[in-house]
Amino acid sequence: MKPLLGTLYLLGILVPEGLGYDGSLAQTRRGILEETVSPWRSLDTYSYTKYHPMEEIYQWMVQITEKYPGVVTQHFLGMTYETRPMYYLKISQPSANHKKIIWMDCGIHAREWIAPAFCQWFVKEILQNYKDNPRIGRLLRNLDFYVLPVLNIDGYVYTWTTDRLWRKSRSSHNNGTCFGTDLNRNFNVAWCSIGASKDCHELTFCGTGPVSEPETKAVSSFVESQKESIVCFLTMHSYGQLILTPYGYTKNKSSNHEELIQVGQKAANALKKKHGTNYRVGSSADILYTTSGSSRDWARDIGIPFSYTFELRDNGTYGFILPASQIQATCEETMEAVLSVLDDVYEKYWDSNSAVKMTSRAMVLGLLVSFRSVF
Amino acid sequence: MPPRRQPPPASGPWGPRPAVLLLAPLLLLTQQGVAAAPVGAEGPEDSPGLQDAEFPSGLLQQAARAALHFFNFRAGSPSALRVLAAVLEGRATVNPKKGCQVDLVFTTDHYNPEVGEEHLGKCSARVFFRNQKPRPAINVTCTRLIEKNKRQEEDYLLYKHMKQLKTPLDVTSIPDSHGHIDPSLRPIWDLAFLGSSYVMWEKTTQFLHYYMAQISSVNQWKTNDDTIDFDYTVLLHEFSTQEIIPCRIHLGWYPGKPLKVKYHCQELQTPEEASGTEEGSAVAPTELNNF
Repeated sequence: MKPLLGTLYLLGILVPEGLGYDGSLAQTRRGILEETVSPWRSLDTYSYTKYHPMEEIYQWMVQITEKYPGVVTQHFLGMTYETRPMYYLKISQPSANHKKIIWMDCGIHAREWIAPAFCQWFVKEILQNYKDNPRIGRLLRNLDFYVLPVLNIDGYVYTWTTDRLWRKSRSSHNNGTCFGTDLNRNFNVAWCSIGASKDCHELTFCGTGPVSEPETKAVSSFVESQKESIVCFLTMHSYGQLILTPYGYTKNKSSNHEELIQVGQKAANALKKKHGTNYRVGSSADILYTTSGSSRDWARDIGIPFSYTFELRDNGTYGFILPASQIQATCEETMEAVLSVLDDVYEKYWDSNSAVKMTSRAMVLGLLVSFRSVF
Repeated sequence: MPPRRQPPPASGPWGPRPAVLLLAPLLLLTQQGVAAAPVGAEGPEDSPGLQDAEFPSGLLQQAARAALHFFNFRAGSPSALRVLAAVLEGRATVNPKKGCQVDLVFTTDHYNPEVGEEHLGKCSARVFFRNQKPRPAINVTCTRLIEKNKRQEEDYLLYKHMKQLKTPLDVTSIPDSHGHIDPSLRPIWDLAFLGSSYVMWEKTTQFLHYYMAQISSVNQWKTNDDTIDFDYTVLLHEFSTQEIIPCRIHLGWYPGKPLKVKYHCQELQTPEEASGTEEGSAVAPTELNNF
């Protein structure tokens, strides 16, 4: 009886997957969402403490660009597998200064809903406060923010329509017998060497080749083209309450590992002050598990110095299905952590007392001075 | 343990860079210290010494989780579930032929976040992971946070609440996609977690651990001779494969009595094998076997 039950169960899962539609057979396992999307027109009534479906996020991006003209612009990054447009928001104050770029992406894994919620919160906080808040105002003087609120759009849509716990993209493989690549195993860094799978059924499937997926291609081409200006690459995930530094593909450490840990630990401390939440800081291979092809490792290896993965709340109690009632607290504390990182990045490149930007010669002199003071 | 650090210096023309250089050796030492201490580099006699490569990342966390799952199952109390707060200290001994033994001390928090308790509990445990095999052997003791009588009282209140639920339960998944659990259904979540704890303990290995992601269906909820008879399907999130494993669990619970659990999990990674399933059952809290 039990093996038969097992086979029937498997059929119930594999058949709808294979046909690429989601009938009621999938319901037992997947929990089809019957949420109705509430009609909302104005940005003033947009709730940042609720989870929003993709249509609403698209609408929100347009409206936020309209509300803050001259500071926010919306840009096309590329198309997803299911031909949805990928947009990022550029937050930039017009200035004669040459700006450095902070990149933030959310939702590379579809089921991690708190991440896109944070990206939206972050944008809102910057825009609502840059005029009155000197901390944020100063950041915008020399930094531009590029925010991609949802990277894995197809997957995110799928978590709303069909399977709340979907992780990968929705590309089709093996003659439509399996779907989705783990986009965070698809970047061109030690691709598929460890902690990833070449089996398209698995949730850490690395794709058919490095950067095989349109979403990965869109992000890497763009980031690569801007890499001279990007000083900070933040990729937001859940869950686990971690601030992860490179690398996942090796236990070796990046050249600036100590600095990344120091900055990360400071951010974790700032986060904890807000609501008491504990975050751990460390390299991905040390405190999580080995992975290859991650966006964070790739970004570090093309030369972006401050590259972090944030794994947001919680610690496993609700996991991916974090209650909406926790969005506010999570976003508030994460904001403190991100601002802390940005402050450190800012102070590294732009001193607040003088307008002197750090040059390599100045760095060398600084090294000589510090060695002299030690010995 | 976070690395000790000095406060950043006042900004000068050279910025914080010199301080980072001075800090670097200190941080390096501290980090190595942190890595060494839990691993027990001073080495018990029977250990050949630990290599980093043999040591799965986060072994202490792994052991703590397994110990807690076992503790929660054995306590059999849905109102007194505990979650991991932090690992305080630990040592691991590897026997390449048999497996690895972890001795550790960790703190715990109350599972139910709404309860305003600030009490951190403390547990010490010995966990033995058999090589590549699940069902680690566990010996765990925790400080008693709630008096036994009080705990039974809370359980009994939960039980009364459960008995009042209208059956059949009109519910698809708990929580819903937005993480919401109707307060009236909260005891179901807690009881499901209790049953899942047994399953998660049994499935944990050195390399795999689990969290309960969602109750995807409630198949049966009734009371047989006063015992709550609960048949449900739970989705377990498996690390580090990231897979979602559906497990059908059938449990029987009455306050103060040992939990009865039968289960059947689907392993989707081997679809060609009909026998790629796991079953298990427990009738009473097992006496700990010596290992």
